[in-house]
Amino acid sequence: MAVPIIELREISKAFPGVQALDRVSFEVREGEVHALLGENGAGKSTLIKILTGAHQPDSGTILLRGQPITIPDTRQGLKLGIAAIYQELSLYPDLTVAENIFMGHQPSNRFGMVDWRQMQQRARALLHELDADDLDVTRPVRGLSVGNQQRVEIAKALSHDARILIMDEPTAALTQHDVERLFEIVRRLRARGVAIIYITHRLEEVFLLADRVTVLRDGRVVGTTLEVSQTNQAELVKMMVGRTLDTLFPKDPAIPGEVVLEVRNLSYGRTTRNVSFTLRRGEIVGLAGLVGAGRSELAQVLFGITPAQSGTILVEGKEVRIRNPREAMALGIAYVPEDRKLQGLLLPMSVRENTTLAVLRQLLRYGFVDHHAESRLTQEYVDRLQIRTPSLMQQVANLSGGNQQKVVLAKWLAAKPRVLILDEPTRGIDVGAKAEIHRLMNALAHQGMAILMISSELPEVMGMSDRILVMRQGSIVAELDRQSASQEAVIAAAMGASELHLV
Amino acid sequence: MTSKTSSAVTFLPSRLQSMLRTQEGVLLVLLVVIVVALSLLSDRFLTVNNLLNQTRLLTETALLALPMTLIIISGGIDLSVGSMLAWSAVMLGFSWQLLGLPLPLAVLVCLLTGVVGGAINGLLIAYVRVPPLIATLATLAIYRGFSFGISQARSARGFPEEFAFWGQGQIGPFPTQFVILAALIVAAHLLLSRTGFGRWVYAIGNNELAARYSGIPVERVKFTLYTLSGLMAGLAAFIFTSRVTTTRADAATGLELDVIAAVVLGGTSIFGGSGSIIGTVLGLVIITLLRNGLLLTGVKGDATFMVIGIVLILAVLVNNLVRRR
Repeated sequence: MAVPIIELREISKAFPGVQALDRVSFEVREGEVHALLGENGAGKSTLIKILTGAHQPDSGTILLRGQPITIPDTRQGLKLGIAAIYQELSLYPDLTVAENIFMGHQPSNRFGMVDWRQMQQRARALLHELDADDLDVTRPVRGLSVGNQQRVEIAKALSHDARILIMDEPTAALTQHDVERLFEIVRRLRARGVAIIYITHRLEEVFLLADRVTVLRDGRVVGTTLEVSQTNQAELVKMMVGRTLDTLFPKDPAIPGEVVLEVRNLSYGRTTRNVSFTLRRGEIVGLAGLVGAGRSELAQVLFGITPAQSGTILVEGKEVRIRNPREAMALGIAYVPEDRKLQGLLLPMSVRENTTLAVLRQLLRYGFVDHHAESRLTQEYVDRLQIRTPSLMQQVANLSGGNQQKVVLAKWLAAKPRVLILDEPTRGIDVGAKAEIHRLMNALAHQGMAILMISSELPEVMGMSDRILVMRQGSIVAELDRQSASQEAVIAAAMGASELHLV
Repeated sequence: MTSKTSSAVTFLPSRLQSMLRTQEGVLLVLLVVIVVALSLLSDRFLTVNNLLNQTRLLTETALLALPMTLIIISGGIDLSVGSMLAWSAVMLGFSWQLLGLPLPLAVLVCLLTGVVGGAINGLLIAYVRVPPLIATLATLAIYRGFSFGISQARSARGFPEEFAFWGQGQIGPFPTQFVILAALIVAAHLLLSRTGFGRWVYAIGNNELAARYSGIPVERVKFTLYTLSGLMAGLAAFIFTSRVTTTRADAATGLELDVIAAVVLGGTSIFGGSGSIIGTVLGLVIITLLRNGLLLTGVKGDATFMVIGIVLILAVLVNNLVRRR
């Protein structure tokens, strides 16, 4: 068997309070897609950072083509042909595609000035290899779709002549169509002998794409690296969580009560057009649609972030006006936003301060924050949502994605809402935390909460919803109930039947 | 868990190390060093009289530094404080001497002028959404213009003797303004660290969008902060006028730099989100004592500025060094 292009031997790395990696050994061969699985906090990110040179291991060896090496920083990592594409893309929005691709190593002419013509030619050539000829290299990155931005990132990695490409959850924010294009690119790169380390939370992708798979749990490799053909989803899930998950979507059929929220002809700009629907106590309504169909925008209208320009909102039968989030909160509406880091959390602040942020007014005694009451309340939700944190005073930035999401949920559950709007509640979090959040949603609906769930993950929409609303271009174009809904029907409505044959 | 302790300061006892991990700790150590050094250099430095007298000079800067701490934590800045002080002071002199208002009423006008100046800043920043740096840079110029326009470059003087109580008098052994300042420091500390409003200020500074999405009245908080800053400028103008017994349009020129330096030296992040009143007070004390001590030991004024600049950078460096591990 060929020498692996890169090999880690017994790598360990500790941070204050955690052993992030514990004697991890791992190898990748040329022309291989090697999937790396693990719940958030299992050590995947640390492993990537060691490979790219962003972190130094405490002990252990890294071998590149059999030779021991050290990677002192990411610049050196790139020189050695190791590049990473992160979940959060790191492009400069106001620079052009070509400039982004060659950021830091622009081709220059003999006067030391940037050689624009050569830069654009080479950028075009790189994108051509990715079958992305449609991308104009002279336009700014701002406004490109996530899929196209990702292709720019990949071209950037290739411009460094990367032989080892690390992809961290590359499909997390992509539309189905872009996902397929990405798979095509990955297969192309593999055929060219690039070694690809592919990190994902979506198990089906492992079987579609990867040759081998390694599972990390609590900083250790679980068992050994497996050939994908020799394993199955159930086995991988068991390895990741250390237990078998009974069901991923534990939704019981709801017993819907009276109408809590009714919306008639709601409009805002071009993104929300004449939207009407009702939401009853105890039901979970899924809001499906393509990225950009106006689902989050609708949620923001309901929550008063961008107040409706026309239309009527009724809460428990009474007509109301919602002009800002405070008014929405007073009416018992809560919104767990799509981007937890940007819109949901105060990352440098503690679990306690984040959890009580929306209900701080209720925790005042003579105008001062009652820290005992604050801790009691936080502890209650930490226990109830099983938030894994060393203490209530832990900075939220140090928690894993799943636990961060639970903190955002805790903040809004503490406000005791009647209507809970969840925007991509399980995006980018691991299987275990995902199942916990689904169980929680189920329990909340049972207690009579009305839940509106926005999700781009069809299995989640199908599995969790009592009813499904489908949005397209700012309007609700279909309403399907649990029995009659099929994935095909949702997709057909989301894309508009006439566009369906184009895909 | 044996993480490497390859830090440069392992030779320090652990108590001191953990103390140096906070900016306040660094400043406290720095303060002790400065006091010891200066008292060795000059025997007039470490005397009750001298130190109490220093608080008179520190008060006006300190009054402005209190709201400035909150504003910088919220992610903003107020450059117009010096100009607001001058404008308020000129209004005091103008309404008393030229309009013939009774002095207490003139003082009220002075305070109100500050409030109006601050409220204009607040409106521009919170509701018109002009970036704080630009809004207050503009009003820095505008308010200074008002001061010159209203005073016509004349200074008001000849205030009655009892008026001097606020800037030159004493309550027990303490200078009057020191007592006022001490009360306001406690109030500002409680406001920032214990109240819901204080928590909101940190929240806005850390992530304004998330704060908004959590139902925090971001605009109202910002408006309040800048208005508060104006009120404090009015109060500082009153005490300043009482201390120097004259109102001049060019008063407190460049004071905003001293104020911001003290706040930043006190460990408040210029990017917002963290900081404390205790830090700011330590920063103020250090700057004031350095200035006074160096003067007493015969260092020229210009050199004093340089020393303060170097101390500012050193304090931040030490803190960064210790925090890295």
